[in-house]
Amino acid sequence: MTCEEFELAGLDLEGLQQDDPAHHAAREHLRSCPRCAALHENWQTLRADLRAVGAGTQDAEAPSRVEMRLRQEFRTRHKTVKAQRAAAYAGWALAAAAVVLAAVSWVNWQHEKGRQSAQQPAVSGRETASAANAGQGLNTRGAISAGPELGETIVAANDAGEFTLLPGTLPGMLGDATVVRVQMQRGALGALGLTVNEERAADLIQVDLLVGDDGQPKALRLPQTTE
Amino acid sequence: MHIEAQERDDVLLRRSAKGDEEAFTKLYRRHQAPLFRFALRMSGNVWAAEEIVQDVFMTLMREPKKFDPERGALRSFLYGITRNRVMKHLERTPRESLHEQIDEDSNGQRGMASESLTPAECAEFGERREQVRAAVLKLPVEFREAVVLCGLEEMSYEEAARLLDCPVGTIRSRLYRGRALLLARLEMLRDTPKRASANR
Repeated sequence: MTCEEFELAGLDLEGLQQDDPAHHAAREHLRSCPRCAALHENWQTLRADLRAVGAGTQDAEAPSRVEMRLRQEFRTRHKTVKAQRAAAYAGWALAAAAVVLAAVSWVNWQHEKGRQSAQQPAVSGRETASAANAGQGLNTRGAISAGPELGETIVAANDAGEFTLLPGTLPGMLGDATVVRVQMQRGALGALGLTVNEERAADLIQVDLLVGDDGQPKALRLPQTTE
Repeated sequence: MHIEAQERDDVLLRRSAKGDEEAFTKLYRRHQAPLFRFALRMSGNVWAAEEIVQDVFMTLMREPKKFDPERGALRSFLYGITRNRVMKHLERTPRESLHEQIDEDSNGQRGMASESLTPAECAEFGERREQVRAAVLKLPVEFREAVVLCGLEEMSYEEAARLLDCPVGTIRSRLYRGRALLLARLEMLRDTPKRASANR
């Protein structure tokens, strides 16, 4: 072993295994080289010094205030995280509830709107009919009689039937129309612009006429009668 | 040291990440002392070491997912963070102030069989130790790491290599050069009074 090799590998003799050939060679070199023996001795002294310095701080540890600070920070951090999570969950729940509420309201509103538009003509018809029966503002130009014939009964449900606009009448033109119940020959429907079956033109039928402000019939309906 | 499964570092870290303070405290108590010593011996400053350890565990608390058990033990991971913090501290600390103090507790007479020494020997021993400590602090950082881990902490080369994430050969060569520098410096220090008295 040369001095250079000894410096590289042999200085730390304790670090080498006893049966390691390098250990044996280093020992041999140490005996034969006074320079390396002195170097080795210096190193042993340094090693002992380093151990002594190490022993001086062997039991050193972070002061307890570090642990206290860290634990405090840990608590704060995790409380904050929990609170943030809870707030986020609550926020999402509220948002979801608002969306559901809005959807339900919209569906209800649509449903209600549809129902109202379906009932509006019938309801206004019924209201004006009852007013007419009470004798208020009754317009019976060309009418025969407002009551049913003897032996005939108007079925209440028939009043719910819808009017059919006469040709040339627009829905917006109805305004404050009045319902007038008349009895007429079926053939007279032809004068109102409706198609009439010639074979039954002489039949007497009961007709509800919706008469506009100008006294002209705007719509009609044929209440079903039972005999 | 045998550690039960529920006490393993990775398990404790998982629990800690979920807000288990006890798990975090266990981790801290298990690892703080060697990290503090390493920081203290590298920086030579108790306050800096304290701050570094606190910073390391703050990082662990804030970003526990940075630790990947597949890549190594938590101890190595923590040493890695400590090293980075020490480097940053050394970068912003002027070199002259490095050997200013290790506080009274750690710089005292602990570790010395003071009963068997005369006061003069005791003083000489203390002075010598202070010289060694100052010389270690003046080593370049990479050599200092090797000397601190293998010389002061008395770790094996393999263990030091694992912690510093480098080959064993690198540790060996850094240690060799570190020792050579230390010897040169200490011999120089030892010779100074002799030369002074010879000149008188």
